[in-house]
Amino acid sequence: MNILKIAFRNLLRHKRRTVLTAALISIGVMMVILFGGIGKSFTSEVVGIMTSSSLGDLQIHRMGYVSSIDNLPLNMYIPEQALTKVEALLNGNPDVAAFSERVRFGGMISNFSQTTNMRITAVLPEKESATCPGLPTRIKEGNTDPVSFVKPGQIVIPENIAMAMQLKVGSDVVLIATNKDGSVNGLNLQVAGISENIQGPGGKDGFIHMEDANTLLRIEGREISEITVKIKNFEQLDKVAAALTGELSKMINQKSGKPMLELHTWQQLSPFSSIANMIGLLLITVRIVLLFIVIVSILNVMIMSVYERVGEIGTIAAIGTLPSKILTLFLTEGLVLGFFSALAGIILSVATLLIMAFVKIPISFGRMQILISPHIPYTEIILSLAGVLIVSALAALQPAVKASRMEPVDALRHV
Amino acid sequence: MSLVQMENVIKTYKVGDVEVQALGGINLSLEEGKFISFIGPSGSGKTTLLNLVGCLDKPTQGTITIMGTDTGTMDRKTAARFRGENIGFIFQNFNLIPVLTVYENVEYPLVIVRRVPKENREQQVMQVLESVGMADQRNKYPNQLSGGQKQRVAVARALVVEPKIILADEPTANLDHATAYKVIHLMHELKRVFNTTFIFATHDPRIVEEAEIVYTIEDGCIVDSRKQSNSSKERK
Repeated sequence: MNILKIAFRNLLRHKRRTVLTAALISIGVMMVILFGGIGKSFTSEVVGIMTSSSLGDLQIHRMGYVSSIDNLPLNMYIPEQALTKVEALLNGNPDVAAFSERVRFGGMISNFSQTTNMRITAVLPEKESATCPGLPTRIKEGNTDPVSFVKPGQIVIPENIAMAMQLKVGSDVVLIATNKDGSVNGLNLQVAGISENIQGPGGKDGFIHMEDANTLLRIEGREISEITVKIKNFEQLDKVAAALTGELSKMINQKSGKPMLELHTWQQLSPFSSIANMIGLLLITVRIVLLFIVIVSILNVMIMSVYERVGEIGTIAAIGTLPSKILTLFLTEGLVLGFFSALAGIILSVATLLIMAFVKIPISFGRMQILISPHIPYTEIILSLAGVLIVSALAALQPAVKASRMEPVDALRHV
Repeated sequence: MSLVQMENVIKTYKVGDVEVQALGGINLSLEEGKFISFIGPSGSGKTTLLNLVGCLDKPTQGTITIMGTDTGTMDRKTAARFRGENIGFIFQNFNLIPVLTVYENVEYPLVIVRRVPKENREQQVMQVLESVGMADQRNKYPNQLSGGQKQRVAVARALVVEPKIILADEPTANLDHATAYKVIHLMHELKRVFNTTFIFATHDPRIVEEAEIVYTIEDGCIVDSRKQSNSSKERK
């Protein structure tokens, strides 16, 4: 016989009450762990798709470019001299896995009978595939080779433009754009691939080769609008971003005397970071709700327990049980109830997450098709268990103190 | 030296704004190894006196010395420890712990109060259970026992720590005639074997008959005391 055994048996005196309380706590723990597991899986899946398909982990632009990014301004390109320095900086940084130079601009695409506007990203396919490895995999028709998914004279168009303009792989189109001097130029291109609607408003983003952008926009030398960077360890994103920002700030614009370039992480470039933050906030809310459930449930059970056992408390006090031991007896009951309820919730939620990971549930998010395959959120499990134990102890403390402070002579008189 | 010495002990309670005197100047000396009975009408102060001797309550005035220790100045923790080491209790309603078996109820004071190692406990528990004739019921829970059996277990629980004093408040009040007689006889026998002092508060004439010393209390004062030599042992 020990205190744990006594606590167990006391809890089983009122099986229905204990089971109901335990079920309430278990459901609360399940909510936290399931929400944590699914929420994190959803977030990492969406972030993974966005960073590996288009955004990259970090982007470097000319200062002020991002605030005007909706217009894709042609007069805010990174000049060749600065580009060379940035390339040298990135090549020498051990945290950088790959980077890709891009030229972005707005244009019109025509199939000779219809014309529509598009946002064009000109890339070097091999470097782009190394930086955004998810991009070639999202090409649904045509050339998906990471090294050559778009060659000079070719264009990759999103599926909604292909559908609207009845374009297929191999169709001829004309791409028309205005360069920074204001002259309009056109270029004949062949559709090399049709991609999913990867990014941008209305999914109107297409890809051409860097050589064609230079021809179309009559760029002399090397000028680009952005550099997309993939880092080796995504968990170190903020640290790497801070280090690179520090290096880039040394490149001063001679005219303004301010830094020439700016660096943004994916969170600063995508509105999804707000959704990710909201998911984090909801998780905190669910955690707080769980703690309230635990405190109310345990407090209720323990108050009832003390009230029902006043005479028994008097007996054990009379036969010499120390007040501290009576306190321990009731605290243990609260802790045992909290611990085993949390354990049941953890087991059930882990089993549910494993089933979900095995089944892989498909969901649509905007134009993205995501497979939810949650991992076991170990941090949530540890936090939930620790939280439940601490709150259980706190909730049981008041009734336990009350029990330990009872005068045996008064308690024995209680009927 | 007396086992229990009470000098001018007064106990008053407050009931609302009214002060009620439960005991009014008790002077008493109780000897070791005796079968002592306090009798008197309801409300005369028997239970209050037992509570004071059992360190469950403190006197309003006067001193109580048990085995040379002034118990009136003890704090709650010291009093609990003193009770655990020296005093056993038998209650009118048995007061067994319902979630523990017969064996565990008797084992409880050894585990929680005395912290006796497991290897030493079993022998002590079984010995005392055998002495009250409950060894074969060791795995039963209190709700599976009759009133007499419950009181035997309560006696065993009080005896297992080998206290100097056992206080019994109306121990036969909830028992039928035959069972009450058996329990009284058992306690008398145990007193002889363990040399434990039994102090009763009772109305039961059978206990009074068995007692070696009988004190009569009325209105919180001892009005009579007598020694008897006609206990069952002597009758046998």
